[in-house]
Amino acid sequence: MSDLGGKTAIAGIGATEFSKNSGRSELQLAVEAVSAALADAGIEPREVDGLVTFTMDNNIEVEVARGIGAGDLAFFSRPHYGGGGGSGGVLHAALAVAAGVSDVCVVYRAMNERSQYRFGQPMGGALPPTSEYTGLTYHGLHGVTTAAAYIALGMRRYMHETGATELDFANLAVNSRGFAATNPAAFFYGKPITVEDHLASRMIADPFRLLDCCQESDGAVAVVVVSAERAKSLKQKPAIIRAASQSAPAGQMNLTSYYRDNIAPYDEVAFSARQLYAMARMTPADISMANIYDHFAPTILPSLEGLGFCARGEAKDFIKGGTIGIDGRLPLNTNGGQVGEAYIHGMNGIAEAVRQIRGTAVNQVKDVANIIVTSGSAVPTSGLILGAA
Amino acid sequence: MSATGEQQTKHNAPCSNQDFDFFYSGLEGQQLLAQKCGGCGKLRNPPSPMCGDCGSLDWAAVKLSGKGSIYSYMVHYHPPLPGFDTPHPVVLVELEEGIRMLGGLRPEQRDAVAIGKAVDIEYIRRNDVALFQFALTGEAR
Repeated sequence: MSDLGGKTAIAGIGATEFSKNSGRSELQLAVEAVSAALADAGIEPREVDGLVTFTMDNNIEVEVARGIGAGDLAFFSRPHYGGGGGSGGVLHAALAVAAGVSDVCVVYRAMNERSQYRFGQPMGGALPPTSEYTGLTYHGLHGVTTAAAYIALGMRRYMHETGATELDFANLAVNSRGFAATNPAAFFYGKPITVEDHLASRMIADPFRLLDCCQESDGAVAVVVVSAERAKSLKQKPAIIRAASQSAPAGQMNLTSYYRDNIAPYDEVAFSARQLYAMARMTPADISMANIYDHFAPTILPSLEGLGFCARGEAKDFIKGGTIGIDGRLPLNTNGGQVGEAYIHGMNGIAEAVRQIRGTAVNQVKDVANIIVTSGSAVPTSGLILGAA
Repeated sequence: MSATGEQQTKHNAPCSNQDFDFFYSGLEGQQLLAQKCGGCGKLRNPPSPMCGDCGSLDWAAVKLSGKGSIYSYMVHYHPPLPGFDTPHPVVLVELEEGIRMLGGLRPEQRDAVAIGKAVDIEYIRRNDVALFQFALTGEAR
């Protein structure tokens, strides 16, 4: 395993407000979040020589650089596969910094994903016959055209094999919305839900109900990656990047992994976990809390199993009795997750992990040592372990 | 048929290319086809130009029975789905031949859908595209 672990750190985080209608351009959101992250770190924009975002992001690096007044860009890179890419962007930045290609590399995601266009809509229309779209169309012609629908097939099989029910799904949504209710930055601040609210919410793609689904959000998040050595002398307590992965195990497909032994969104998370624990030289016992990607909150169940916090099929029981609450064994998605805070392709879960390590989160967990962060499952994914210096 | 692309490519399916044309062309003739590797004989689905087991680019399209059992399913409720009435059921079927195939389920049978139930194929056209769906066997039609 590589010795990347521990060489780099997240030294700054920045974000805009999270809303349904930002009222300004995506590029403005991007430059606001990137500038805020640099100010948080105490680094001048002129020092930025690396920018990383998602292939799905609409803000080209050179326009972000021009806006913030960056220096000469020596590194730019974009992971693919939507929300699977977030932690992967941090991996790219960490690799660039550890290799000496970039000194200050900012990872950003900015979108008017509610007011300007809509995610979660049926994919279709005139798509070019590339290897990506021919595969999606092959399934889409039968009416599987939204992320919810694609992932629902895997989760229905998961329910069949494990006995998990929609009551277990409700427990996850209630946990996240509870954290959002006490997080002023969350869109659903002050709006907790009950199990009954969840079970009464309308069906979207059976077995997913509305309150299983992440939001559609306007907003931006950015994080600044520098060397662990440099981070020591900056403004904030560093969040050391103990491990970072990109993870597409054999048999992985893009939303349509229906042809491998286990069709639940599990294998990619389990592979990421193996990579992360090996790089960080840790086991699940070393992890204080987790921010697990919740495009659809029920997928947290197979993720918990893939991350090794419980055995296959036992996540529905693991999450009961306060385990994932603020004083539990594994506080989970303490910002409210993407169902509660905002859907910024998981970048807000990374920023929350940094706040928890600093000790500045609104839902602060006691004695945080290491945090595992995942990115979108059911697609090629990525992950992080962040820790205190 | 072969990987050299000499097969008929007459079909109306959108977003197809040389890797997928055989499949949609087969449906025009009410045949559910899959690639059988010319090197090792393994069936594969979804289509791919190369066999991931033996690396062969040779393949032939073979007809599948269309019979199998439901491995998983979902029902699409929202948002509205162009070209479909909702709620719209979709099933992932473990075919007799040992490969899986995704397809719609006959909409009237939506409430009876369950993992493990037997299904058979029905050939349909949707928006002038030759397609198929599955129907539960042994259920009222």
